[in-house]
Amino acid sequence: MSKLRNVAIVGFAQAPIVAENPHRTAPEMLYPVVRQALANANVERKDIDYQCAGSSDYVDGRAFSFSQVMEVMGAWPPVQDSHVEMDAAWAAHLVWVKMQAEECDAAIVAGFGKVSEGSPMHVLNLQLDPFYHASLGLDHVSTSALQASAYMAKSGVDDAGLAQVAARNRAAGAKNPDTQLRQAVSAAELQKTPFVTSPLREGYLPPIGETATCLVLAAEGKAEKMCDRPVWIHGVDHRIEFQTIGARDLTSSASTKLAAKNAFEMAGVKGVNDAQVVELGSTTPAEELILRDALGLPSGLGGTSGGPVVNPSGSPLCANPLMNTGLLRLAEGFRQLSGRAGERGVAGAKRAVVHASGGHCLQQNIVWVLGTERRWT
Amino acid sequence: MNQPPEERVKFIQTDLVLPYHYVAGDYKALYLRALKDKKILGSKCSATGKVFVPPLMSSPDAHAPCEEIVELPDRGIVTTFCVVNVPVYGRDIELPYVVASVALDGADVSIYGLVQECKPEDVEMGTRVQAVWRPDGERQGDHSDIKYFKPTGEPKAPLESFIHRL
Amino acid sequence: MSRAVAVVGVGQTHHNSKLPDVNVPEMVRIAVDRALLDAGLSHEDIDAIVLGKAPDPLEGIMQPEQYLAGALGAHMKPIIRVHTAGSVGCTTALTAATHVASGLYGRVLTVAFEKQSEGNAMWALSPNYAFTPPMVAGAGGFFAPYCRAYIMRSGAPSHIGAVVAANARENAARNEYAHLRDPMSVEDVLASPMLWDPIRFLETCPSSDGAIAIVMANEELAKKGPRKPAWLKAGATFTEPMYVPGRDQVSPLAGRTCAKFVYEKAGIKDPWNEIQVAEFYVPFSWYEPMWLENLGFAPLNEGWKAVDRGDQKFGRHLPVNPSGGVLNTNPIGASGMLRFGEAALQVMGRAGEHQVPGVKTALGHAYGGGAQYFSIAILGTEL
Repeated sequence: MSKLRNVAIVGFAQAPIVAENPHRTAPEMLYPVVRQALANANVERKDIDYQCAGSSDYVDGRAFSFSQVMEVMGAWPPVQDSHVEMDAAWAAHLVWVKMQAEECDAAIVAGFGKVSEGSPMHVLNLQLDPFYHASLGLDHVSTSALQASAYMAKSGVDDAGLAQVAARNRAAGAKNPDTQLRQAVSAAELQKTPFVTSPLREGYLPPIGETATCLVLAAEGKAEKMCDRPVWIHGVDHRIEFQTIGARDLTSSASTKLAAKNAFEMAGVKGVNDAQVVELGSTTPAEELILRDALGLPSGLGGTSGGPVVNPSGSPLCANPLMNTGLLRLAEGFRQLSGRAGERGVAGAKRAVVHASGGHCLQQNIVWVLGTERRWT
Repeated sequence: MNQPPEERVKFIQTDLVLPYHYVAGDYKALYLRALKDKKILGSKCSATGKVFVPPLMSSPDAHAPCEEIVELPDRGIVTTFCVVNVPVYGRDIELPYVVASVALDGADVSIYGLVQECKPEDVEMGTRVQAVWRPDGERQGDHSDIKYFKPTGEPKAPLESFIHRL
Repeated sequence: MSRAVAVVGVGQTHHNSKLPDVNVPEMVRIAVDRALLDAGLSHEDIDAIVLGKAPDPLEGIMQPEQYLAGALGAHMKPIIRVHTAGSVGCTTALTAATHVASGLYGRVLTVAFEKQSEGNAMWALSPNYAFTPPMVAGAGGFFAPYCRAYIMRSGAPSHIGAVVAANARENAARNEYAHLRDPMSVEDVLASPMLWDPIRFLETCPSSDGAIAIVMANEELAKKGPRKPAWLKAGATFTEPMYVPGRDQVSPLAGRTCAKFVYEKAGIKDPWNEIQVAEFYVPFSWYEPMWLENLGFAPLNEGWKAVDRGDQKFGRHLPVNPSGGVLNTNPIGASGMLRFGEAALQVMGRAGEHQVPGVKTALGHAYGGGAQYFSIAILGTEL
């Protein structure tokens, strides 16, 4: 692996994650977040040379929705800019690639989406093959349920096991002032919640929520001036699998395994146990277990333990603001490694592995390895 | 129905029904409510003093808050326009009609509006116009409260005065 | 860019108002397979895929890279999807180039498409956003007032738009892939109905289905290829907000800034004489003289004179849109990449009947939004 450019996360800001913000439109939610992120990174907008956003027209119920936020990014005089119709975690990857190409040195990545205005159930159905899958009326909970049920059959994990995983995340969320669900709930209580689509109970699914996020990235030379404890990107890779749900092994995540393998190799580490913190973009307990398997983490069930702390943020189970969820995992890695995670901070954490996902049944996955020190010297 | 179809299925028709309920945001809501009272509101940039109508929470150029709300007169000039001869999806206005970019007096960005009560060929860049409102009791607090703009009959504004305010 | 990037293959569909014999993945595969064939490569040689297209509601498929992953040969590879309004195709190509320039991906496949006949394009493009003043004029009606302002500001005679349209159609007749190719004279255009005064029916782009795919490679791999590649000399995307007070909507600053940035990077001081062919994004004919000025090919208020003299016709000083351009082929998401791809084909000497002789340097350009998003690329025969 040849030497790459050291790039760091140097600042982050987010709006509170709420079920609905009736006072502010998406750009209005983003404006103070961009200003805060710039302030946190001790930088003015004019010293940022690139910006990239992640959002979805269908989530927003507007074609060209991203053009609204051009008004709040400080884009005057005109700026170098782009946008991906994906979770902002992929906008962050695009920025990282651009820095590797030496096309920019300091950038902001924004995520937004007023999820409460639409119906994710209707909209996420449209990601599916229009002839064979979307026409069945499958929504994202149904496809997740198919995957969960396949996994349970193969692994022997039962309803109580799912409840335990969910309860763990709810307990973590209770310590995270920046997430949406902040009350711990016991596994027993979660097991009493009704099925939304069996085997997934209400208690095993994220709430509807929305936010706006802004992450600041900078290359070596600039990063150190912007943040007292920049968090360096050691490795990253992302992969997609073909979509056809019936033709994939839903009980394992081959693309996560491959993305992780490549990210670890870039980072010069053997595996996930070289990290002290892991953040997974899992939206159901079954997804979390599948991802743990893919990364070589214990399930944490039946007394298994050890290895890094997983999902100290509470995971997307506690907050799943579409188009921001992936970026929030990266933000958690930043907070944990730069001493900004307060009460839930994992003491002495030097490396984090961060994951985010897109599409139905973990179709597309990105894995980052972050560290407190520069990777290449 | 145990046989395959005799003719190949060439397409499927899917009608999507997606429910959305949109939030106006406090600034837009304020503007719309004021239309009911025959008032046009804008917001002023705390850094440059420029006035945006409808009000924006922050200015796109200075990246500064625009919290001060100001009232604007309901008259201005047509900076530029076009004459529409084809029906537009979702609109049923009698053709041909004029759509203009109207710079209200005191505003630093223009709004779009119809120009009526005149022949389309009589509208020029620089024509001075006045808003025509829905009558009292009929205004709802939405954009249709201003039905259209009509020429005031005053001499048109010189090109230099608005060419930079399109 | 720190590392050289080249275009090594281009493939596109025969664009048309409807491509009813193929569904979206099949349509995209026509372009992809042609591009790979052109490059002498197959799917295994591709390290990453960058997809670009206009709003998802145009086909009713959300985040289509997910549905298309198999068809694009993206299984177990990285894929992203760029969306930047009308400029998207060109921005997508530049994003793919960035991936190669990063040194992380040796060969990148980039694809842009639109199958807008499958959705209700007018609905998707004229949304009545809640709480926003109603779009009383449609897309053409949005730009028509600025064409009027250009005519007023520059003193351009009213026949210029028609001359551009007739030229473009003559060019399209030389491009087997173009959608509209039937002969059309200046008189035909002037006789056509006025849609949004001053824009006439025959001065307006069509609605098309189509796809284009391009393979890009790093220096080492490009030099291995069966053909001479087109080298990317410079590229950039610049954007501006809509509501900047006093914003020049006739010659937007973002376009001028983008052009200046790209020329500087490519070492071009006199575009009119150093570039031999240009593919501009012209959806309404008046934008041709406007972009000639915005991109520095003509002085302020004189773009129309170049058109009047015929300088931008095929076979003359600086042919503009020898492919026929957006005026004759407009699958919205693909149009920007068609400009980039056509510029590359000109440099590679493979534009067939619409090849401009002696091309050393070509420019590809796209814009989108309320004339806010600008994307420009310069391609050349030499590294």
